[in-house]
Amino acid sequence: METLAFQGLVGLSVAMYLWLLAAGLTIVFGVLGVLNFAHGSLFMLGAYFAFTFYGLWGVNFWLAIALSLVSVAVVGYLMERFFLRHIYNQDHAYQLLLTFGFILILDDAVKIVWGGVAKIPAMPSFFEGTVSVVGRPFPVYNLFIIGAGVFVAILVWLLFEKTWWGKMVRASASDREMAGAIGINISTLFTGVFAFGAILAALGGALGTPVRVVAPGIGAAMIIQAFIITVIGGLGNLKGAFVGALIVGTLSAYGILLFPVFELFLIFLIMAVVLMIKPQGLFGS
Amino acid sequence: MKTRLAILLLIIFLAFLPAFAGKYLLYVTIHILLLSIFSLGFNLLFGYTGLLSFGQAGFYAVGAYGCAKILLVYPSLLAGILGGVALAGVASLLLGFLCIRHTRIYFSMLTLSFGMMIFSLAWKWRDVTGGDDGLVGIPRAPLEVPGVFKINMAAMESYYYVVLGLSLLAIYLFLRIVRSPLGLTLQGIRDSETRAACVGVSVRKYRLLSFTIAGLYAGLAGTLLPPLESTVTPPVAHWSYSAEPVLATLLGGIYSFSGPIVGSVLFYLLKDIIVRFTEYWLICLGIIVVVLVMGFRGGVVSIFLKEGSRR
Amino acid sequence: MKEIIRTEGLAKYFGKMAAVHEVTLTLQEGLFTSVIGPNGAGKTTLINLLSGYLLPDRGKVLFQGSEITRLGPDKRVRMGISRSFQVMNIFPRMTVFQNILLPVLSRLNKTSSAFSSLLSQKEAVGEAERILVEVWLKDEKDFPAGELSHGDQRLLELGIAVASNPQVCFLDEPSSGMNPIERIKVLELVKKLAAERKTTFIIVEHDMDIVFSLSDWIVVMNRGEILAEGRPDEIRANREVREIYLGEEV
Repeated sequence: METLAFQGLVGLSVAMYLWLLAAGLTIVFGVLGVLNFAHGSLFMLGAYFAFTFYGLWGVNFWLAIALSLVSVAVVGYLMERFFLRHIYNQDHAYQLLLTFGFILILDDAVKIVWGGVAKIPAMPSFFEGTVSVVGRPFPVYNLFIIGAGVFVAILVWLLFEKTWWGKMVRASASDREMAGAIGINISTLFTGVFAFGAILAALGGALGTPVRVVAPGIGAAMIIQAFIITVIGGLGNLKGAFVGALIVGTLSAYGILLFPVFELFLIFLIMAVVLMIKPQGLFGS
Repeated sequence: MKTRLAILLLIIFLAFLPAFAGKYLLYVTIHILLLSIFSLGFNLLFGYTGLLSFGQAGFYAVGAYGCAKILLVYPSLLAGILGGVALAGVASLLLGFLCIRHTRIYFSMLTLSFGMMIFSLAWKWRDVTGGDDGLVGIPRAPLEVPGVFKINMAAMESYYYVVLGLSLLAIYLFLRIVRSPLGLTLQGIRDSETRAACVGVSVRKYRLLSFTIAGLYAGLAGTLLPPLESTVTPPVAHWSYSAEPVLATLLGGIYSFSGPIVGSVLFYLLKDIIVRFTEYWLICLGIIVVVLVMGFRGGVVSIFLKEGSRR
Repeated sequence: MKEIIRTEGLAKYFGKMAAVHEVTLTLQEGLFTSVIGPNGAGKTTLINLLSGYLLPDRGKVLFQGSEITRLGPDKRVRMGISRSFQVMNIFPRMTVFQNILLPVLSRLNKTSSAFSSLLSQKEAVGEAERILVEVWLKDEKDFPAGELSHGDQRLLELGIAVASNPQVCFLDEPSSGMNPIERIKVLELVKKLAAERKTTFIIVEHDMDIVFSLSDWIVVMNRGEILAEGRPDEIRANREVREIYLGEEV
C-alpha cells in the first residue's frame, strides 16, 4: 500500500514535466493548428541552457531558469517567424515534415555545442535532501516540481481566462478570420503563442536539470508521451492536457513498478483506445 | 523511349555489378535496394494516397524479426522471406484497420505510436525478440525449394542476386499498381477524399488497402535484412528508422514513381559523403529536409523532369 | 410522375440552430427542380443531407421508395445519386481525363483492379472520352485539373457529377463564382445535360435567370423550412415568396 502511494507521488512529479511539455504542444495546436514535432527539442534546449547558465557558469538558479526561457523563446520565435509561418495553410504533412527536420537539426546542434555526453548538474542547495513520505525518503526537489507544476497550471489558466491577451488568443483560436477582421494582428499573435508554448516546454526542461539527465534525445523521448497526453486530453485543451499528464505520469510510474516490461506498451494502448472511442479526447468537443 | 533505354542500361549495370565491384559496394547496393523497396511502399501511402506514416519501421521490424525467427529454426531463405512478409502483411492489416479511420494528423500520430509500440515490444520482450541485444547468429540460409533446387547463399554475390531479383520484381509490381485503376483511386482519395466518396469510392477500404500494401513492402525490405547482417536489433523499429523512407522519398520526389528509388540512392550517397567530413550527419539531413519542404516539394526528380507528377 | 426522392420530417441542427427543420418534400423523376431561398435558408444543408454528405438528426430520406437516411455518400452514388459542389471539388493533381475516368471506373466496379493498366480499360476509357466531349473539355484532356481556368473547372465539376451516370444529380450553385461569360457557358451545359441525359437534376441556385428558364418545378426555402413549391409561374405569382425573396418582378 505504501509502495503504491509512494509510486503515485513519483508519478505525480513525472507528470509535471509531461504537463509542461504537453501544455505548450496543445496550445500551439489549438491556436495555430500546427503539431510541432520539434516541441520536445525545445524542452531539451531548455534543459541545456539552464545547465549552461546554472551548472557551468554558476548563475543563480532562478535567474538561470529565466535566462533559459528567454533563450528558447528566441529559438521558438525564429522557428515560427521564418519557417512555420509560411506553411500554415498547407497540408499538415508538410508541417510535420518541417518540424521533423528541426528535430534532426537541433539534436545534432546540441551535440556540436555541448558534446554528446550526458550531463548531470548539481542540485541547488536549498532543495537538497529528502522528506519522509510513508516512511520512505522522497526528494524535496520532486515536491518542488509538483508544486511548481500546479502553480504554473493555475497561472496559465488565469492567463487564458482572465487576461486580455488570453481572450484574444482564444478568439483567434476559434475563428481566425473573424479575429483578424476585428483588428487582432494574427501574425504577431501566432508568433507570441508559439513562443509561449516554447517557454512552457523550456520550463519543463530547465526545471528538470538538477534531477534528470541532460542529454541529446531527452526531448524526443518525451514528445511521444506528450502527443499521447494531448490526444487523451483533446488537442487544444489545456485542462485535458493537465489531466492527461497526470494519467500518463502516474500510469508510467505504476507501469514501471507493476509491469516493467510493458509499461511503454500500456501507455500507447491507452492512447489507441482513446482515439478509437473518443477521438476528440476525454475533454474534447 | 529514352527512359526505357536508361532503365535497361541500369538493370544491366546492376546485373553485372558483382563482376567489378568489391564486397563493400555490393553490401551498400543491397542496402540501397532495401531502402528503395521500403520507400516505394511508404510513398504509396504518402505520395499516392495522401497519408503520412511515421511508423513504417514497425512493419519493417515485423518482417525482419519474423524472418529471423524462422531462419533460426528452419534455414530456408524462401520460408523466411515468405513468412516475414506474411507476418508484416497481417500486422499492417490489423493496425491499419485501427489507424485508417482517422484524419491526417491523428493518423500520423497513431502510426508513430504503433510503430513505437512495436519498438517497445522488440526492446523489452527478451524471451521472444532477444531484448536490446536482439537476435543473433541468423544464417544466410540457402535458397531452396525442397526437391527442386538449392542454391547456397554464403557468397555475397549470390545473396545480392536474390535481393536484386526480388527488388526488380517489387518495383515492377509497384509500377503496375500505380498505373492501374487502384492507383488512380488512391490518387483520387489523396486529391479529395470527399469527392472520391461522392464518385462512389469507399475511402476507408482503399486506404486500408494502400496501408497493407505499404506494410507488405516494408516487411519485404525487412525480411531481406537478417540474412545480410546475421543480426536483428530493436533500432530497426524505432521512429528514427521510420524516418529513412520519409527522407529518401522527400529527397527523390514525393509525386513521382521513381522518386523513392532516386532518393534512396541519394540518401546513401549523401550519408557516405557527409560522414567523411563530419560525424554530424543528422544536422545536414535536417537542413536538407527543411530546404526541401520550404522550397522543393517535388524533390530531385522534379528538378530534372519538367513534370514530376503523373508518372 | 414517379417520385424519386422523398423526405419525411428531415431535420438537422447545428447547436441550437435548426439549419433544416421538419422538411417533408417529394421530388419527381424527370422534373428539373430548383431549390431557391435567401442565404441561410438551409438549401445547401438540404442537399448535403440528400447526398449523404451530412447525416440528419431526425427524419428520413427515401430514394425510389427505399430508405437511404444513414447511407454514406459512396453508397448513394452506387444507387444512382450524385452531386456537384458549390466550392470547386475536383482532383487537382490528376489530369482532366483522369478526373472523369475515376467516377466511370467506380461505376463499372473496376476501381480495385490492381494490375491492369488504365488504358486497357477500354469500356471506361471510351465512356470517359465521350463525357469529356459532352462537357466541352476534350482539348484539355491531359492538363492537370488544378491548372484549368476557373470556368473550365466548373465544367469539369459538372462532368465528374454526371460521369457516374446518376439517376438524380444535385448541383449546388453551379454558377457560383462565375463571371457573366462563364455563367452563360455553365447554364448552357446544364441545359444540355438536362436535355440529353436521363438524369433528374435538382439545383440550388441564386441566379433567377437560370432558375426560371430551366426549371419544371421550384422549391422555395426560408429559415430551414419549405415556404412554397410549385411550377415557375405559380412561384412567380406567390406573394409570400415575392415578399421574402424575389422583391421585384422577374
